[in-house]
Parts: sequence; C-alpha cells; structure tokens
Amino acid sequence: MNRNKSVTLFIQCLVDQIYPEVGDAMVAVFQKLGISVNCPTEQTCCGQSAYNSGYKSVSKTAAKRFIEIFEKSEVIVCPSGSCVDMVRNHYPSLFRNEPDWHSRAENVGGKTYEFTEYLVDVLKVEDFGASFKEKLTYHDSCHLLRNIGVKDQPRKLISKVAGAELVEMGNSDKCCGFGGTFSIKYPQISTAILDEKLDNIMSSGATTVVGCDVGCLMNIQGRLSRKKLPIKTMHIAQLLVQ
Amino acid sequence: MIEENLNNQDRFLKTVKEAIKASPGGYRKNREELFSRLSQSTIDSRLKKIQNRTRADQLKLLDLLMEQAEPINLRVMPVKNLQSASESIKELILDKNPEWGTVKKVAAWKHPLIDKLSLGDALAKYDIPVYQSELKSTDDLPAGKQMIREQIFESFVGITAADFCIAQTASLVMKSHPNQARAVSLVPSIHVAVIELNQIIENLGEFYFLQKWDPIQKKEGLTNCMTLISGPSKTGDIELIMVHGAHGPCELHLFVITGET
Amino acid sequence: MTTISTEHYKNKAKEAIKDDVLQSALAGLQNRLGPATAAMYKNLPEGDELRYKAHEVRMFALDNLDMLLEQLAQKIRQRGGNVFFARDQKEAVNYCLEITRRRKAKLAVKGKSMVSEEIGLNDALIKDGVKAVETDLGEYIVQLAGEHPSHIIAPAIHKTRNQIGSLFEEKLGISYTNDPPTLTKAARKHLRDAFLTADIGFSGCNLACAETGHITTLSNEGNIRLATTLPKVHVAIMGMERIVASLEDHDALFRLLSRGAAAQNLAGYVSYIGGPALDSEIDGPEEFHLVILDNGRSKILADEEFKEILCCIRCAACLNVCPVYGKIGGHSYGCTYTGPIGAVLTPLMTDIGQSKDLFQGESLCGACQDNCPVNINLPRMLLALRAKTAEGDPRWNIKPSSPVEKFIFSIWSKLISNRKAYDFFFRLARFGQKILPTKNGEIRKLPPPFSGWTLDRDMQQIASKSFIQKWKETQK
Repeated sequence: MNRNKSVTLFIQCLVDQIYPEVGDAMVAVFQKLGISVNCPTEQTCCGQSAYNSGYKSVSKTAAKRFIEIFEKSEVIVCPSGSCVDMVRNHYPSLFRNEPDWHSRAENVGGKTYEFTEYLVDVLKVEDFGASFKEKLTYHDSCHLLRNIGVKDQPRKLISKVAGAELVEMGNSDKCCGFGGTFSIKYPQISTAILDEKLDNIMSSGATTVVGCDVGCLMNIQGRLSRKKLPIKTMHIAQLLVQ
Repeated sequence: MIEENLNNQDRFLKTVKEAIKASPGGYRKNREELFSRLSQSTIDSRLKKIQNRTRADQLKLLDLLMEQAEPINLRVMPVKNLQSASESIKELILDKNPEWGTVKKVAAWKHPLIDKLSLGDALAKYDIPVYQSELKSTDDLPAGKQMIREQIFESFVGITAADFCIAQTASLVMKSHPNQARAVSLVPSIHVAVIELNQIIENLGEFYFLQKWDPIQKKEGLTNCMTLISGPSKTGDIELIMVHGAHGPCELHLFVITGET
Repeated sequence: MTTISTEHYKNKAKEAIKDDVLQSALAGLQNRLGPATAAMYKNLPEGDELRYKAHEVRMFALDNLDMLLEQLAQKIRQRGGNVFFARDQKEAVNYCLEITRRRKAKLAVKGKSMVSEEIGLNDALIKDGVKAVETDLGEYIVQLAGEHPSHIIAPAIHKTRNQIGSLFEEKLGISYTNDPPTLTKAARKHLRDAFLTADIGFSGCNLACAETGHITTLSNEGNIRLATTLPKVHVAIMGMERIVASLEDHDALFRLLSRGAAAQNLAGYVSYIGGPALDSEIDGPEEFHLVILDNGRSKILADEEFKEILCCIRCAACLNVCPVYGKIGGHSYGCTYTGPIGAVLTPLMTDIGQSKDLFQGESLCGACQDNCPVNINLPRMLLALRAKTAEGDPRWNIKPSSPVEKFIFSIWSKLISNRKAYDFFFRLARFGQKILPTKNGEIRKLPPPFSGWTLDRDMQQIASKSFIQKWKETQK
C-alpha cells in the first residue's frame, strides 16, 4: 500500500553532523514500510538557532533557502520537533509582511511532519517489529509537545516494542534545560534544570531515555556522561530498528 | 484639585488613544457598542428560568453549595425555620470562646431576617450583649459610628444576612447598605451568616447576569462596596501550608433556612 | 522601578542555585502549585476555550482602553470618589503623599499590591514620616526581613518556616516556633492593632469594570478588606491596563485568575469598590482615591508586537511552572515583576539593553503560555525582545548589543547558504576537535564561544562522516 509513497528527509543539523545514525535509522524504518526516501543533499540548517537568538535576517536567509529546496517535495519528515516547529510555525511568521514568501512558507510548513507524528498519525503504523528488552523512559521535548502537540505518538510506538517496558518519569514534560544557545550562555541555570531532569530519570529506574529530539538527548547525554551515570540516551528512530 | 485632575486625565487619555492608533487591533468599537447587550427575549427567558425555580431546584442548589463549601471550610447548616436557626446560633455562641479576651459579645446587622432571630432576648440571660449596627439618631453621626465600630471590635461573633449565595463557588454576596456595617463580617473571629433557601443561585455567570439585567438589581447597582465572601480567611504564605484565620474571620458558619415542608 | 538591578542576574542566579534552602522551597512551589493549577484548568466546564475567550476579553479592553478608563473615572467621581491619572511613578507617589500629608496620616496599612512595589510607595511613605505596614502575611514577613517579594502571589516563598520562626522571634518578641498556624496567629495579633488604628489604607486593583465603574480587590486573608474598610481613607492604585469592559467579563477572568494564582475556584474575598462609603453607612472609608498609572504602559500599548503583555492579570501561574524561575527564584531577576512575565515586562518598562539577561536567560520551553489563564504568548515576546537586542531598534532606544555574536551569526549565515562551505567548515571542525580533551568519544572541554556547554557537561564528538555525506555515497 505504501509502494507509490515517498518521503523527503529534512535532516536536523545536529543529526547530520553528530548523530548520523539517527538518520540511518529513519531511512531503515521507511524502507521497511516500502516507502521511497529522498534526501536533498544541499540542505544545511533550518535557521532555528539564529531565530532563537533574535537574528531574524539570518533565519530569513535560511528559511528562503529551505523553502526553495523543499517546496517541490510531497511530504517532508524530520527527526526533530523543534525543527518542525521552526518550519511549520515560525517560517510563516517571519514572512508576515511578504505575502508571496508567506504563502510559500505556509505551503512547506503544511507538509512538514515530525517523524513519530508522520508514522502514527499519517501512515497509521505503530508496530515495527522492534525488540528491546529494557526499561525505557520517555522525555517530552518542549517544542514537540507544546507547539506540535505530539505526546501520545511516541508512547504508542514504544509500547509496541517487544520486551521494552515504558516507565514514566516524574514531570516528563518539564524542560531539560537545553534551550539552544541558552545552555551555552547560561550554563549554570541550564545545568540546574538538567539535574532535576536527571533526578527524575534516575528515580524512574529506566536504563535508557528515549526522545524525539537529539538536542535534548545530547544535553541529557552530556550530563550523564560527565556524571558517569550508567544510563543511555536513544532517539526513537534508533529504538524502532532494534 | 479636581480641575487639575481633569487636565491630567485629558492628557493621559490622549496618549492612550494615540497608542491604540499606533497598534490597531481588531476589537476597536464605537462608544455606544462598548458594553455587551442582550435581546429582551433572551433576558426574559433567562430571568424566568432563574426566578421560577421550584423548591426541588433550590434544594439541589443547596446540595451543590454544601458540596462546594466543604473543601473551603465554609460550614453550611440547613435549618427548617428561624426559630431553629436562632437556637443553633445561640448554641454556637455559648459553645465558642472569644479569641481575644474572655468576655463574650456579639455584633449583628440591623436586618429584617436577623431581627427575627431575636438573638438579643435569647442571649440576655447569659449576659451576652448583642449589638445591633444601627445608627439611631441623626444628630451626631460620627459619634454614633464610632460607638458601633468599637462594639464590633469587641465582639467575637458577627451576624449578618446576605444578598445572594452563589452555589458553584460557595460565595456569599454582600452589598453595602445603611445599618449593615461592613466590619461585622470582617473583624469578629467568627462570622455567622443567615440566608433563605431561595437566595441561592447557581453560579457567578448567573449572578452577574442578574446584576446587569434583573430590573431590581439593576436599579440598586453594585453599590459602593460589594463583597463576595467564599469561606473563612486563609493563607498559604508560609511554605504553602493552609492556615485559616489570617486576618479576617477564622470560621464562617452559614445557616440556610429551608422552610417547613 | 526603584530597585532595578537586573545586571546581576547571572551572579544572583548562581548564588540561588547553590542555596539549598531556597531550592527546596522552589521545588515545593513547582511540584505542588504548578501541577494543581494545570489540573484546575482541565476541570473547567469550558476547558481551554475559556482561556482563549479570556484573552479576547483582555485584548478587547486594550483596544478600547481610553473609553473604558474614561467611563470608570466618570462613574467613580459620580459616587464621590477621586480619580487621578498618573503618567509615571513620581506623579503617582506625589499624589499619594499629598493625601497622607493633608490627612496628617501617621500609619498606613497596605494590601498586597505589585504596582505599589513598582512605584516604590513604601520607601516614599517612610521617608515622609508615615509608617507603612504591609499586611499580606507574605509581604509582612518580607518587610520585617527588610527584603523584597520574590513571587507575585507568594512573596515569602523563598523563606522556610524555620527562618520565619527566627524572624518573628527577633522582630515580634515571641518565643521561637516553626508551626505555621502559630506564626500566622502571631502576625494576625500584631497586625490587628494596625488595622484598627491606621489612618489610611492602600490597595492595588485586580481588574476594574468599566461598565459599572468599580475597581476590584481579591484576597484570601481578608487583609485587603480590612485595609480598605477600617481606615477613613482608601487609596487604590491600578496599572492602567487592569480593566475590562463588561461585568460578565469578570466571570471568566476571576475563575481563571483564582485557578492560576492559587488553584482555587474563587478567591476568598472579591470586593467591588466604586467610591467612598455613603453618609448613611456605619463604616467604610469616607474618602476614596483611585490612581491610574501609565509608567511606560502606553509605550508598550503602542507596539503591536508587545501590547499582548498588557493582558496579564498578575496571577503568577507562569512562575509556578517556569524551569528557570524554579531554579533561580524571584530575587535573581532584580526587579518587581519576576519569572516569565517579568522577563518580558521589566525590559519593556525599564531598559531592554540593561535587562537583556532576563529574556535571554530563559529556555523558551513554553510552559508559561500553557499555564497562563489568559493564554499570553510569552515565548513569542521573549523572542521578539531577543530580536531587538540582536538587530537594534531606535524606537526602544536599543542598539545591537553584541558585535561578537553578530559576527558569528553572519558567518553562520554564509555557511548555511552553501552546502560546500558548510561541509568545509565541519571538516575543519572534525579535524580541530582532535586536539580537544576527549574521553570515550565525549569532548570534555570546548573552546569559546561554546565553552559554557562543557562547564558541567560533555559533548559527543562530531561524527566521522555526516549523514548527507553517507547518503551521497549510498546513492552513487
């Protein structure tokens, strides 16, 4: 049924450069479903970091480039909630006073999906035959949860993984302290927030933290590593190919 | 000073108006369209619904009131008639001890419903005075007011009626009226209120509707000071731990006269 | 604002994070009040729709503010009240002092009012020989300790019962106890005399009603009722935006305000005050004054990007869920309005450049908007303020503040516009990271401007091949 479907990959810059295995896992998931995968190789960054730091002109440059690269695609799928939030919600507002670009932004935003949202809501597939015999806990990334409205989708996917036991941590929807450049500019505040997240993860008894955004996962992993705590982080795409 | 204030006002409002012009939103109206309006038929049908409640309806509202009152420590006591209300209030006054000092004194509104309780007579034999907040002579108003004020300060129980009782939020509504000192529901440690069953209305929305559209309420207006009281005074300012009796009354007892049948 | 010192944000925040007592107090607040508020919203019969409706009601009021204030003033004057329009804090304070001088007031009791903090009323009264006593229990504690409120609704949330016990032992001369009811009773006893003898009462205003011409005050303790009933003079001070048009607007807003502020259905005392007491009344103030304050608000109103912040009804629900407030507490902000609302409002009311840490030091998680009873888009405005500092804006008298950051982003802009240049940059980075201290593939120390990251965290190394590079290879 998926024979003539195709998706275009929107690869978050952190995935591209630091966690390419997340992209590999996504490709494997789509191949399993018989969906053909495209990936524009000229893509770079959606401009979110500049936008969040207030550099609107830089983010506009990035947005125009993104729109030009992706607007011909049928469906765009990204392994990051905050990047989808940028494209879907912030691109149109960047071009509030430029009607032509505004409608192009809305067009691209309308067909850009976060990975788990696309699997569960559009393809309506939850079981990928994955197997992972561990206690898992799930971290709700802020922009994914609040701006994209994705909460149940990843949990449904996790629940179908054979052997995996999902244990909810306390305050799973509380920020991990990443916040992009915030974590670099205000490291002490960021770490204090992060340590609360780690406490909640530890108390859950899970051995792996699953998330849908490598920004948060990189943050959590960085602190786990520094504190030498024996807990792994994993993007949900990686879980689905276990 | 008044004229100067008016100049201030003009200058101030001009600035505001210019600011609104600089960032036009979608809600700007003409002066005559500022306040919400309803059609007469809508008003009539809603008024009818509220005013024609059966006794069974009112008893349901009483149930709702009691349910909502419990978590906020408002003690609601349904009583059949005035006499049993009077009896219960007397018992309460005899039972409780003053928070400040040892002498028991009671302050009460001058109000038809409260008058009918005849609490003065009931408590006379226990040597407990019941001060009525009533200005008797028009000769020396300040002195009269000062005397009543001091009587209220000395009282450990204050007895009032109420204009309405809102079930959903367990709120007593008190508008300011002559001879109904505001301090009676505020300064004494225990506030006792008495209402009749048909004074209970459903929720805040209904209350505001009546204030705006019921001809009697509309004529009276909100008065110069109208207070909604939902439970006794409380605070959570020390480690969010709930303590009753911060500055206002520590206890609030509401007697609802339900009628005989 | 009188005591603004937002430039110490970073240092104060660091101190706050190390303060274990404060940390446990803040955790208590966020683990209890924050979630309780969210649960209360869920149980509203109208659901989230009520928050959206309330937002509209507030925006309606802002778009018609001049006419609403005019009507409010007119109605209050008709009832014998006085209304004064103050452009700034100085005019407001001077007006208050005129009254205290004319009445020869010695003792003033105050109901909790953030706007009186904003104009520095207490200091002005004390300087003028009037003893000004805060009567809200939290404010009273803070005043006794010589501090400022650290939370809009729970001013003494940074203090433990033990600290309050010691404070009362020292200042009120009672024997030490850490029992909240006993401590509350001690304050009750102490303040009772002040209420009974005060010459003047000051209050704020939660939300006036233009249609009927009343201000409103909300409290749970009853202190505002006492402060506005017993003294002969009542002076209320309101920010000019704290008004709605119609009476029924209060239905939605008070239910939401009470839920947002204290997770309750309705505040214990809601008073509508429309003028002084009538002669025929036994008590109530014989003189009533309303001071309507601009103090920078009209400038915010004139800016379409920021006017939405004036919808705020000061419930502090955003503080109770903000991860940053939850770690640094109110005092780190160095200003009257703290938390997410303060991070937007303070820069706009004072100086954007000087207080840029407030809006840059937020993680943009969005919990504030979710918990806001009037659904204010705080994250949007935090971003808009960042844009002001990044790119400058003469209207707000702000020049681009960080040339280094601007330079970095201009390079970044060039890199992301060209995949070849982008690949080249990361090839350099891949090569460069080899000289960084690394353990098990985790970098232990990054160079500036990224060094903040590795202060307390490791960083996974850049992969040997990017995803795009690998993709290209598989497509060949």
